[in-house]
Amino acid sequence: MSEPIFKVVDALPAKNMTTRVLHALDWVVPGQWNNLVGFENSIKVISGEDDQKMIQKIGERAIALYNDKGEGYQTALWLYRMVDNLQGMAGWAALANKIGENISMLSLMNKLTPKADTTQGIDFCVKLVVEIVAFCKLNGIPGDSVADFVKSLSDYRDEALMRMAALICLDGLLPLGPDFMVKALGFLDKSGAGDLEKNERYQQVKSLIPGENAKAQLGFISQGVGAVKDWAGKFVASRDLGTDKLVGSLKNFMSGIDGKLDYVAALLDMTTNYYEHTGTQSVARSLIVRAMGEI
Amino acid sequence: MLLFKPRIAVAFLAGLMALAVAACGAQPTRWDEAQDKTRGKKAVSTDAYEGSVFNKFFPKAESPFDLVYKQEKKGTAIADLKQDGKPVATLTIFDTVSNPDAITDYKESTQALAGFPLVAKGAKGTALLVNRRFQVQVRSTDDAFTEEDRKTWLKKFDLDGLAQLN
Repeated sequence: MSEPIFKVVDALPAKNMTTRVLHALDWVVPGQWNNLVGFENSIKVISGEDDQKMIQKIGERAIALYNDKGEGYQTALWLYRMVDNLQGMAGWAALANKIGENISMLSLMNKLTPKADTTQGIDFCVKLVVEIVAFCKLNGIPGDSVADFVKSLSDYRDEALMRMAALICLDGLLPLGPDFMVKALGFLDKSGAGDLEKNERYQQVKSLIPGENAKAQLGFISQGVGAVKDWAGKFVASRDLGTDKLVGSLKNFMSGIDGKLDYVAALLDMTTNYYEHTGTQSVARSLIVRAMGEI
Repeated sequence: MLLFKPRIAVAFLAGLMALAVAACGAQPTRWDEAQDKTRGKKAVSTDAYEGSVFNKFFPKAESPFDLVYKQEKKGTAIADLKQDGKPVATLTIFDTVSNPDAITDYKESTQALAGFPLVAKGAKGTALLVNRRFQVQVRSTDDAFTEEDRKTWLKKFDLDGLAQLN
């Protein structure tokens, strides 16, 4: 939490399993995501400034704003990180880096356990709600402003739009199929607070989800996901998104994945951290844009 | 009899040095001083106006332009200016009470706009200072949005209204 923001942005990988998967999804949101890494580089690209004095001023103000916990940037970053950190992930990420350029699904299947649909559905909902809360923290609006968030979705771009695209594709379509929104909401309705409590992602971030207990938080999650349903439906329809197209784009570096979508979802779940990666980029962008106006 | 074989001793020393370098941490960076100075500190003055106060002073955008409000925090309000749906500039009102360094540029200002001192903020930004306190800035996010465009949009803020704030 107290790690300096410039170090966090400097540590963003230029290429790893996460960036390969996100690049493979470029066709979903064409040209929106450039893998912006490095603190100084991010300032240069976002501000369009080359002058070192100017870059220094922007960077120093951005650091000060991040270090003020009350400004919400630390909390947003924490949320993006925590929702993406699952037990055992470190080992898988190391394995993924060793696999090389092409991943053969066949060789990994005996090591993977696909998640139950219920777990996958709740994961999707928790990730979406993390986006709502982080969005509110970054933009300075009350943490339960679902309506403001939904209104802003049409204005999402850059890494934030890619994050939503990846959420829909990798945590929605891939494991749950085309009716992922209906399924996810159905799981929330059926499962109740007890199942929510058993969900690892929920456990990681529950301290920051609005609501005084699991039941109230379940209500907030249902409300949030329900409010995004129409937007997600249009997102899928306007791009004619389907599992076939998605599998086609992943085949560039993963072989033998036809008919094994639940295994692919499980593998990506354990080997990528696109929420943390693009979330860090969103936090950096918010800080830099604000700092530019405050120097 | 030697207690330590020289080759082992050298390897041992090299290992110790590697450990020492690791313990010292990373190379110094241009950001370390700013980090040390601001760690755990407030970046926003308690005297700053709420960002929501500034919204009414932003320009009214008419087609093909549109204004999309982004961050609204104590002391600052930020909006994106879009033209035909494409972002062309970032508009900000900032209460400099939180970062008085921001107003030092204006001491050397030789230009004025609508009666307020005007400065360049880097190559992409143009800003003016209202009542020696509120910085109003327009920054191009699209190369086609020129310095003249920035000045045009600076004039569209309700600068006189903002000047009534203090």
